[in-house]
Amino acid sequence: MTKQKFLSLLLALVMVLGVAGSAMADEVTQLPRNESLYFAGQQWGPVNSWNPIGVNQNNAMATTTSPQGSRTIMFETLYMYNFMDGSMTPLLAEGDYVWNDSLTEMTVKLNPAAKWSDGTAVTAEDVAATWNVAATIQNNTATNYSIYIDGVEAVDAQTVLIKSALTEAGTPVNPLKVVEYLGNAFVAQKAWIETVCARNNDDATAILNDAAEDVVWSGPYTKYVANDQQVVLVRDDNYWGQDASMWGSLPVPKYIVHTIFADNPAGETAFKAGEVDVCQQFLPNIQDLWLKDGLPISTYIEDAPYQVCLTMPTAWYNMKIEALQNPVLRKAIAIAVDYDSIIANAMTNQSPTFADVPRSMMNPTAGEQALYNHDQVKDLQWIGNDIEGAKAMLDEAGIVDTDGDGWRELNGEKIALNACCPNGWTDWQAAMEIVADAGKNIGVEITTLFPEWSIYQTVFTNPNQTEYQIFMYSPDSAGPAQPWGRVRQFMGGDLIGIENNWTGNYGQYTNARVDEILAAIPQTTDEAELNALYTEAVEIYLTEVPSFSLMYRPAVFHEVNESVWTNYPDAEDGRNIPPADCTDGYGIAALYELELVNP
Amino acid sequence: MKNTLRQVFHSGKFVAGFSIFVFILLMMIIYPLINPGNPLERIGVGTFAKPGTYVSLYDSVSSDRETLRLADADENRIKSMMSMEDRVSMVAWFTAMDISVEGVDMNDTDALLTMWRENYDEKARPAGMTKAQRNFYVRLNNSITSANTAEVLSVTETNSATGEVVDKGKIDKTDYVNVGDVANVKTLPLGTDNFGRDVLKELVSACGTSIWIGFIAGIVATLIGLLLGLLAGYLGGIVDDIIMFVTNIFTVIPSFVLLILITYSLGQDQRGATTVAVVIGLTSWVWTTRSVRSQVISLRNRDHVNLSKLSGHSLMRIVMTDILPYIASYVVMAFILQVSSGILAEAQLSLLGLGPKTTEVPTLGLMMNWAMLYSAHLNGSWWAYFPVILTIAGISFSMNLMNTGLDQVFNPTLRD
Repeated sequence: MTKQKFLSLLLALVMVLGVAGSAMADEVTQLPRNESLYFAGQQWGPVNSWNPIGVNQNNAMATTTSPQGSRTIMFETLYMYNFMDGSMTPLLAEGDYVWNDSLTEMTVKLNPAAKWSDGTAVTAEDVAATWNVAATIQNNTATNYSIYIDGVEAVDAQTVLIKSALTEAGTPVNPLKVVEYLGNAFVAQKAWIETVCARNNDDATAILNDAAEDVVWSGPYTKYVANDQQVVLVRDDNYWGQDASMWGSLPVPKYIVHTIFADNPAGETAFKAGEVDVCQQFLPNIQDLWLKDGLPISTYIEDAPYQVCLTMPTAWYNMKIEALQNPVLRKAIAIAVDYDSIIANAMTNQSPTFADVPRSMMNPTAGEQALYNHDQVKDLQWIGNDIEGAKAMLDEAGIVDTDGDGWRELNGEKIALNACCPNGWTDWQAAMEIVADAGKNIGVEITTLFPEWSIYQTVFTNPNQTEYQIFMYSPDSAGPAQPWGRVRQFMGGDLIGIENNWTGNYGQYTNARVDEILAAIPQTTDEAELNALYTEAVEIYLTEVPSFSLMYRPAVFHEVNESVWTNYPDAEDGRNIPPADCTDGYGIAALYELELVNP
Repeated sequence: MKNTLRQVFHSGKFVAGFSIFVFILLMMIIYPLINPGNPLERIGVGTFAKPGTYVSLYDSVSSDRETLRLADADENRIKSMMSMEDRVSMVAWFTAMDISVEGVDMNDTDALLTMWRENYDEKARPAGMTKAQRNFYVRLNNSITSANTAEVLSVTETNSATGEVVDKGKIDKTDYVNVGDVANVKTLPLGTDNFGRDVLKELVSACGTSIWIGFIAGIVATLIGLLLGLLAGYLGGIVDDIIMFVTNIFTVIPSFVLLILITYSLGQDQRGATTVAVVIGLTSWVWTTRSVRSQVISLRNRDHVNLSKLSGHSLMRIVMTDILPYIASYVVMAFILQVSSGILAEAQLSLLGLGPKTTEVPTLGLMMNWAMLYSAHLNGSWWAYFPVILTIAGISFSMNLMNTGLDQVFNPTLRD
């Protein structure tokens, strides 16, 4: 054998081994289909952490927290929020939380049955320790709540005392946010926290980034397999929640599986094929899946808008741009936009229209809609596509085309704006195209700009940026502190000038009266008074137009394929389980009621 | 020249390619005359209306009518309301609800409908039936109840001032209108896209943009390639070494990767159609340089070139009169291929979301990009992307065919 032949043979052998080796490295675990619930649309890469007190985790199935309901399949919160009716159902807690009269202290009783995975009881010490470590290492719980919560203490093993942070006047800063904390923050075990702190020498950054492979959990599922193909959680058959004081049984599926798909179309294809049961993806024209393709797929609501919308992706005006400091121009652009087209095209009708749910700062749920006086602001609300109205408004304000180039000028300068959103966010991109069209129709030049998300996120959160002039982002969806939180996000003066501002008021709008209203709402319990305050805020918002919502949108998409499992929550079943992908907040109740189609 | 052209048009392949290309060009010129207007105008509210002719329901009610007695009209009507599958499903529902289906004749529409109306209950939850199945029956029931069953329909108008309902006429089962009489009829030969735009109109306009992009890219690439190739080949020596060094570097870097990197770093606000075209041109000149150079090397020691040199002609003159004419046919063919690959490069870039800015002009690649983003390939809206693919294929095919034809004319060894 010549040297060359030998070399080529060797090379071929290396290649074959290489291919075989990589194939063996991450074999997809085969699980019994009728014991596994498959998900799509949550996890897009291999998980990096199982740390309930960390940051920068991408472990969507295990560590997602959110005011509209944290994902409690592995770690648990004190209460489970239900965005359909705003109620709080005890999870680790027992019975309702109790405020003192001045709303400065809240008492929460823990369920004596609650246990950690190592068999020890969940105690008030754990709750206090989780808060204390959060405050020390400054994780998300601390950044979200430390201005509202002064401290969390253990009165005895089963009793937690949460102290509101107080204003200078001695009133609580915002009791609503304290309630939100109950359904948002996970509780971690004190002993485990001490272990983690010790092994990282109390270094905050190290603790925040600890992968926590040894974590102790209290929820019904735990880690089984996690690689670059899939994440599998397996049911913990010793889960405390089978106690009659909680669920009374174990959740039905033995495995929770999330295959890591390359992209949306891959997830959609698997969902249509019945390989995915619960899908959290925006699927354009979802109704075609059952109307045309006859697939066993359904959403929470059978007819348009198919989903429960909790938020409204919004176009924010950048107040650092001189032209946009003119409220007439802001309103003119806003009323010229063809929202029906956005909703029909960008959302493929998976959103109520602004004729169905007139614009305000409230989401379309009945609870929030009841909070302001619709008749009082009726004249300020707009449905859109009012080109003539917008033109007249601009003409009247003297914003006209003086040099005959077809574009209007303001103070002698041509108005040229851009409309931005991250590249690849299809429905938002389509919406921005339609905003640009509106500009064209009224003689205001608006061009679209779609930077990559990695760039976009650093720019729009910068309070001094002038690169993006009209740009999109969503305010918070549901939660106990809404719609107060959204009013703050749209116009809150306390958010001005904050570096790396992810909270809100990205356009840096200020209004002294709004700040007074924002301070007053959390202290107000009288309903009529509250209604008057919200109505006034909406009035200011619709007059000043610091931003304009483009559509309503679900916080999470909830689509199910009933090839294997059935009895998912739906709008008419009277069970009051929210469409939260069977995992978030009180939505997890669905896991206890699933049934097999073919038992 | 005349002779060359005659030869060229004798080549079957060239003529075939040329005809396809001219057909596409003619479409681009003629179609906008038939169907004028902004190709990016959104006419449909909603996504992906299927191809066909749309007749205004509103206007057809008041159009002139003719009475036609068609034998199969009733049958067709029932079929569109209730298919055989629907009938089987109805019986399946009765069975699931433990309702006796003995003696039910599935072809007896009236009996089946009566039984359905008597028994169907929207609220019922038959055991073992999924939500999706229950939804199916709700829809079936809705379509049955909303179907026109009366012999005569009446059209009414509500007076907006008084709220009074005025009878506007009757519609018989045998009433027909001539499509030509209806005030508003819109034919969308290729339906609408995700934005509700007329796909054919957009396609025709996109074709123009894409050919323009290909043309610019081709000119840029050919000019650079030609210039460098001529210099390197004719001058030789250190100039040749330097130029070939640069060219070799560009050869080993995959040009498409380079293209992606450049367009990405340009940022979207800078990416107009022409900019993208120039960038494509700037990354695809390499092989033109190499082949021009090798041809020039073989030419530069020919007698007529040496004679020119001896006569003291300038470099410019020698290159222009003694070398260029000999490689001109090759350059033209290379140019055609560059145009074709420029069009393909734009489509590839746009598919990755790195194409020209979207609001201003439609391009073939952008049309495909949006179709993919809206899952047209998954939801069966073939009209949004398949004609685009065909068009791209058509353009490249015609250009390659022309190129092959030219090759056979100019390169005697290839002649059949």
